Amino acid sequence: MIGLRGAGVRYDERWIFRYLDFAPGAGRCVAILGPNGRGKTTLIRALLGFLALSEGSRSAPSTVGYVPQATAAIVSYRVRDVVAMGRVAQRGLFATPSRGDREAAAEALARVGLSALGGQRFDVLSGGERQLVLLARALATGADVLILDEPASALDLRNQDRFLSVVEALRADGRHTIVFTTHLPQHACAVADEALMLYGAEDHISGPVGQVLNEENLGRLYGIQVRIVDVEATVGGRMVSGVIPVFGGTAPA
Amino acid sequence: MSAPTSTRTAKSVRRFDGGAVWLVVFAVLIGVAMLAGICLGRLSLAPTGVFDSIMSWARGAPIEALEERIVLLVRAPRVLIAALSGMGLAIAGAALQGLFRNPLVSPDILGITAGAAFGGALAILLGESNTVLIGSAFAFGVVALLLVGLISRVDGRSDTMTVVLAGVVVAAMFTAFVSLIQFVADPDSTLPAIVAWLMGSFASTTWFRVGVAAPPVLIGAAGLMLLRFRVNLLSLGEDEAKSFGIRVQRERWIIFLLVALIAGGVVSVSGIVGWVGLVIPHAARLLVGPDHRILIPASGLLGGAYLVAIDTIARNASAGEIPLGVLTAAVGAPIFAILLRRMYTAEARA
Amino acid sequence: MGLEGQAGRVFVMAAIAALAAIPALADPVTITDMTGRTITLEEPAERIIVFPVPWSSTVIALDGGADKLIAMHPESKLAIEEGILGQFFPEAHDIPSDIIAGGASKGFMPNVEAVAAMKPDLVIQWGNRKDDGVTPLANAGINTAAIIYGAEENARQIMTLAAAAMGHADKLGMLMKWRDDTAKALNDRLSGLADSDRPKVAYFFYTSPEYQTEGKSSYMDWQISLAGGVNAAHEIDGWGSVGLEQIAAWDPDVILLGSFEPQVSVSKIYDDPILGATKAANANRVYKVPVGGYRWDPPSQDSPLMWMWLANILHPERFNFDVRAATTEWYVKIYGHEPTADQLDQVLLLDMNAKGAGYDRFVRK
Repeated sequence: MIGLRGAGVRYDERWIFRYLDFAPGAGRCVAILGPNGRGKTTLIRALLGFLALSEGSRSAPSTVGYVPQATAAIVSYRVRDVVAMGRVAQRGLFATPSRGDREAAAEALARVGLSALGGQRFDVLSGGERQLVLLARALATGADVLILDEPASALDLRNQDRFLSVVEALRADGRHTIVFTTHLPQHACAVADEALMLYGAEDHISGPVGQVLNEENLGRLYGIQVRIVDVEATVGGRMVSGVIPVFGGTAPA
Repeated sequence: MSAPTSTRTAKSVRRFDGGAVWLVVFAVLIGVAMLAGICLGRLSLAPTGVFDSIMSWARGAPIEALEERIVLLVRAPRVLIAALSGMGLAIAGAALQGLFRNPLVSPDILGITAGAAFGGALAILLGESNTVLIGSAFAFGVVALLLVGLISRVDGRSDTMTVVLAGVVVAAMFTAFVSLIQFVADPDSTLPAIVAWLMGSFASTTWFRVGVAAPPVLIGAAGLMLLRFRVNLLSLGEDEAKSFGIRVQRERWIIFLLVALIAGGVVSVSGIVGWVGLVIPHAARLLVGPDHRILIPASGLLGGAYLVAIDTIARNASAGEIPLGVLTAAVGAPIFAILLRRMYTAEARA
Repeated sequence: MGLEGQAGRVFVMAAIAALAAIPALADPVTITDMTGRTITLEEPAERIIVFPVPWSSTVIALDGGADKLIAMHPESKLAIEEGILGQFFPEAHDIPSDIIAGGASKGFMPNVEAVAAMKPDLVIQWGNRKDDGVTPLANAGINTAAIIYGAEENARQIMTLAAAAMGHADKLGMLMKWRDDTAKALNDRLSGLADSDRPKVAYFFYTSPEYQTEGKSSYMDWQISLAGGVNAAHEIDGWGSVGLEQIAAWDPDVILLGSFEPQVSVSKIYDDPILGATKAANANRVYKVPVGGYRWDPPSQDSPLMWMWLANILHPERFNFDVRAATTEWYVKIYGHEPTADQLDQVLLLDMNAKGAGYDRFVRK
């Protein structure tokens, strides 16, 4: 399983975070929240093993399904090749996509609903489609743990919906542990079981979403007033918690 | 949840999955080029005579007549080295461009070519030739790579940008040294020799030189061929590659070493052969696409064909040998410009 | 020779006439260098520095001694130390040669301060590289005469310039007359020579890393033609590399190896699988160019000896110059020293050229 224990990272004298215990349970979906600059990215990178901890320890499986923000390199390989990549990488230096790889890739693409786009070039896809392809790639690796860096943050509403639907389906399936960062608390409400909120280097709150994502905690986290309103959604007739930031209260600096 | 519909942008998929078709075309191209290379020369020989010579050699008969000697001892090694060099440099360029995700990268970027050039010029200045020259060129090529490594590696890792900059620095240093050598060379004799060598030429190719250059070039090229899908992975960037469990640093330096083998091998026997490593991968990419599984072999075949064609012109267009460096650019630039325009126009209109 | 040749001849004649009109040695000397720059010396030069490699030997030749040469190019020094000039003028071994920038042993860039410190009356420098080697010296107030390489006319102008600078009209006149007489003798004996009777001569001043030769506008091309041959590389302009196949296609009758690579011997040609199959190799007509007061391939005061040597080799049926005797006679006149038989053998490179067809003519009697 993946987790950090007593972890701390600092740059020079400044601690980004410290004394952090983070151990999502198997099959759970955890959202990491905080305004920009609070250390979400650093935490993710530490979790992925991209940077060394200054303190504490990290445990992680050998393969982690990483879904970066879709602003990475201009990649013009075919979608089905991109999806297969993570999986092929595991099989050694000289490996090229095998039949098993191709099948796993097709399956992953189907799970995110993009089977039709297999032969397309990656760079002609829309932002939302790209994000889903990257998710498929992570799935194709067969990893149990998925780590997503601000997924859907840069997408339009409809694509956000699309993406979150897929994540929800994965969560419901229960076979993956999902960790994602976001600066949109609404996303956490929509799909996460638990949330970790980063207030300061040594100040964090974590717990079930229903418990910790309240108006007071969110307001303190983002520094503006936040109201939470439960509404009935027309689709499916369920109750959805709407997180409403109340703008207009912050004077220009 | 709604079923996702695929939204296609205006750009259509221009090329079918016909990468393999292009490979066949390029293979034919290199075959034709080599054939032309061995049949054409300042000494007019009928193609039948050429084939007879080859057949006779294949049967194990000793090489005697002048025609046989020309075909087997002058043209054949030369065509072979041109093919090897073009293939090697193009493959190296394609791999590096993928690795650095930068279209302006060529095998020269790591300073290897400049280092090898210095090694060769130094040997000529000291009045050495042949074995010493080849050894010196190769050695300094590797030294350049080591220097780049020393400069850019901190705590066992190196940043892409730092490697490129270190390469620029090392190349600049060796280039300055080469200028210094030219500066002190006797303008009556040594200087022309150095200038001629720097401009790249296959004129003094012998089977011995083929034997020297072939192993490192073939090993390097074969290694890069095996790693062609890996280059796809590495081209995604350090973070993503790392997340797949790839040891990016180690694999990057493996690729650099393979490139050094190729570049060092080529420069040591033929001087500086520029252009091929930079432009051929681009031309190939325009035709077969960015997937290195096809791009790398395609670059190799196209590069080999190109350099054989150029060298055939270099030694036949006039009595004096035209330096390779002059021709590769003079012929390549217009062709590439046309290709570029065609592709760009097609994309802009799509 | 054409218009250029005639203009050059007029130039030389005028210069000699002008020189002859100088009544006393103390009169100012005005010379015009080959880029058109005019230099006035208060009196004939006593302290001369020469950069272009062959022409230090010319200064020594014209003066009959090494006194006026106060510094020379390191390559000239090498030639002197290796050749007969160093034996004739042992004091030449002491002439400094650290005049190249950076203390280098090759190149053309002057070490201006070192040159200025020697207080030369005149510096002779390459003008082929435009102002690169000349301007720094001129800017330092040093009288610098630029020379430009080319064919026979240029060679004569260079010698004239050096002679004018030192006030040696007679010697110059003698050398010019010798050149004229020898050239005339050759032309006369070769009159009516059909083009097809001209042996094709391939000259290589460098053999590695590639074979390099000189083409139609070069001095060697002219020399070969004068001696009754035709330059195999005549279709090339300037100098250039040639491949083995091209040399085989030319199939020269005679191959000349330049003297710039002393360690390369004729066996390189004979042993080569391609070049060893040429007419020249099969007839043993591969020769190494001799080294006398200076190397005989480029133009120098020794040139007429080269022409005679070459004529003997190219047309043994028409020419039988006694090159040894001529060398002896003229070295006395030029350098004031009589070469020994051993020295003559050394000049004519008898050990390297022993196998050459017809070379027994050059062996001592």
